[in-house]
Amino acid sequence: MNRLRAALLVTGVVVIGYALAGSFLQLGGKLGGVLIFLVAVLVLHDGIWLPLVLAAGAVLGRFGPARHRGVLRVAAIVAVALTVVALPLVLGLGRTADNPSALPLNYGRNLALLLLGLAVTTALIMARALIRASPALIRTSPALIRAVIRRRGRKDSERPDDGSDG
Amino acid sequence: MVRDPDRPLTSPDSPVAGPDSPVAGPDHLEAAADPPETAPARLSERAARLWTWLWEHPLPVPPERLRIGPFRPAAFAPRSTRLTSTLGLLLGVAFGICFLTGLLSHVIQHPPPWFWWPSRPAGLYRVTQGVHVATGLASIPLLGAKLWSVYPRLFTWPPARTLVHAAERGSVALLVAGGLFQLASGLLNIARWYTPMPFFFTTGHYWVAWLTIGALLIHIAVQLPVVREALTRRAPPDAGRRQVLLGAGVAAGLITLTTVGETVRPLSGLAVLAPRRPTIGPQGLPVNKTALGAGVRASASDPAYGLVVIGPAGPIRLDLAALNALPQHTVVLPIACVEGWSASATWSGVRLRDLVTMAGADPGRAFVLVESLEAGGHYRTSTVEPPLTADPFTLIALRLRGDVLHLDHGYPARLIAPNRPGVLQTKWVGRLTVRETR
Repeated sequence: MNRLRAALLVTGVVVIGYALAGSFLQLGGKLGGVLIFLVAVLVLHDGIWLPLVLAAGAVLGRFGPARHRGVLRVAAIVAVALTVVALPLVLGLGRTADNPSALPLNYGRNLALLLLGLAVTTALIMARALIRASPALIRTSPALIRAVIRRRGRKDSERPDDGSDG
Repeated sequence: MVRDPDRPLTSPDSPVAGPDSPVAGPDHLEAAADPPETAPARLSERAARLWTWLWEHPLPVPPERLRIGPFRPAAFAPRSTRLTSTLGLLLGVAFGICFLTGLLSHVIQHPPPWFWWPSRPAGLYRVTQGVHVATGLASIPLLGAKLWSVYPRLFTWPPARTLVHAAERGSVALLVAGGLFQLASGLLNIARWYTPMPFFFTTGHYWVAWLTIGALLIHIAVQLPVVREALTRRAPPDAGRRQVLLGAGVAAGLITLTTVGETVRPLSGLAVLAPRRPTIGPQGLPVNKTALGAGVRASASDPAYGLVVIGPAGPIRLDLAALNALPQHTVVLPIACVEGWSASATWSGVRLRDLVTMAGADPGRAFVLVESLEAGGHYRTSTVEPPLTADPFTLIALRLRGDVLHLDHGYPARLIAPNRPGVLQTKWVGRLTVRETR
């Protein structure tokens, strides 16, 4: 394996050298633009984006109902990822009047519908978890289920933080 | 994000091994240090000393009072190495696929002398480029989760122990910046939003791809033992790890499902986040560059239009009536855009090989320079190589789905050929120059 690692290391260094040489020769005046963008994405991601994500995770961990923290965490990751991918389309700043075939959809509405679907799915999963955890008897009675959900919701909020982080 | 490194060759009395220094990871760098196992021994004494110095000489440790905020010990909840390794493995495969398909697309557009690209299967490029874009999109949540999982390592203390440690951290910074650059610029490109990118997308995306892959290879070399150990060891069940993996996986799946219909026709109804729909556009087909955008509205609509064919037999000029009088052929071929969308359509027109024969050349040996009526631009011309020139599917198309071409689809005449990137399917063709190889 050490031979493989050495080969990977040497190849990696050579490839970076090739990339640097090629960039200097081909990008010319635009090299500065590439460097700015490289640094910008790194700083924005590590300096602003991730701290925000960590803060959101901490809020979820602190205030989210303990029983559903896992489901909510998964749902939050999915919602954030979908939003990031959809954002340039929702903003639609790449649209031009002469080309209606580019970005032809109402992406704001589509993203909202996707997030709504995600929220409904998450709620259903949470409800199922509640019902499963309840005695079989109450499954037949919607009124009882509602009462149980109310009670459990109260219980969850009283439950101390289990220390899992977001 | 910067992997806690080791001090493989550090002597026990070295300051970096003092009680203040964090616990070293497994000695995985040692192997990378020695690879040409006997190399240092074979080098002169001086070179050997330099080598040792690079690996062992401790860099000054910043004063402890600067160890604040995220640099504090235990500033972050611990992350699972197994999660990091799993995500790393997935991303390694994804970036590998993106690199190879992207490189392929690049050499198809800028063929080096040794490169040969077949004309069949006709839909091969739509697959490779569809995979390129779909894989890049699916990588977004994976990279997000991966960088979250290694974030505490950004605040390793001391920031750099030795020069080799500093170099390794530098390569990781390069990898992270490069990975983010590629996914962000790719996403902006398919959304056609170029303002935030202070460079020409194609060349920037291309050279940073090499940079990223180089840094990735170094990263794999350094982390291979850690990944192996993390993925082979039986890990205790960890709800947090499963949630992050599940979240990233579901996100990648949903992103794929809601975008891949821009090229996979049966899923086009689900493509609610796709920048294109294969059926939306003039004559039911998307357009990349419009006649207005290309500045050819006037010249392409000029009734005096004529296609000039220059070859060994001398120049020929064919007006629209003459082109329509030539034998017409109909083919079903996809437009496969570099941006990842594709759509098949029925094209009719004159076979390129018939025009090449008229020009006095052998289609099997002819390169054809296809020139647009555009005054300039990166894709004003394209070259058709012999395999495509000879292919009966390669047309100078005059009609799309039975109707005269829409101006935005290249009226009066456009190139359409199998297994070829959309940007090379030159529109508003004004001139063909035929050159024969020996």
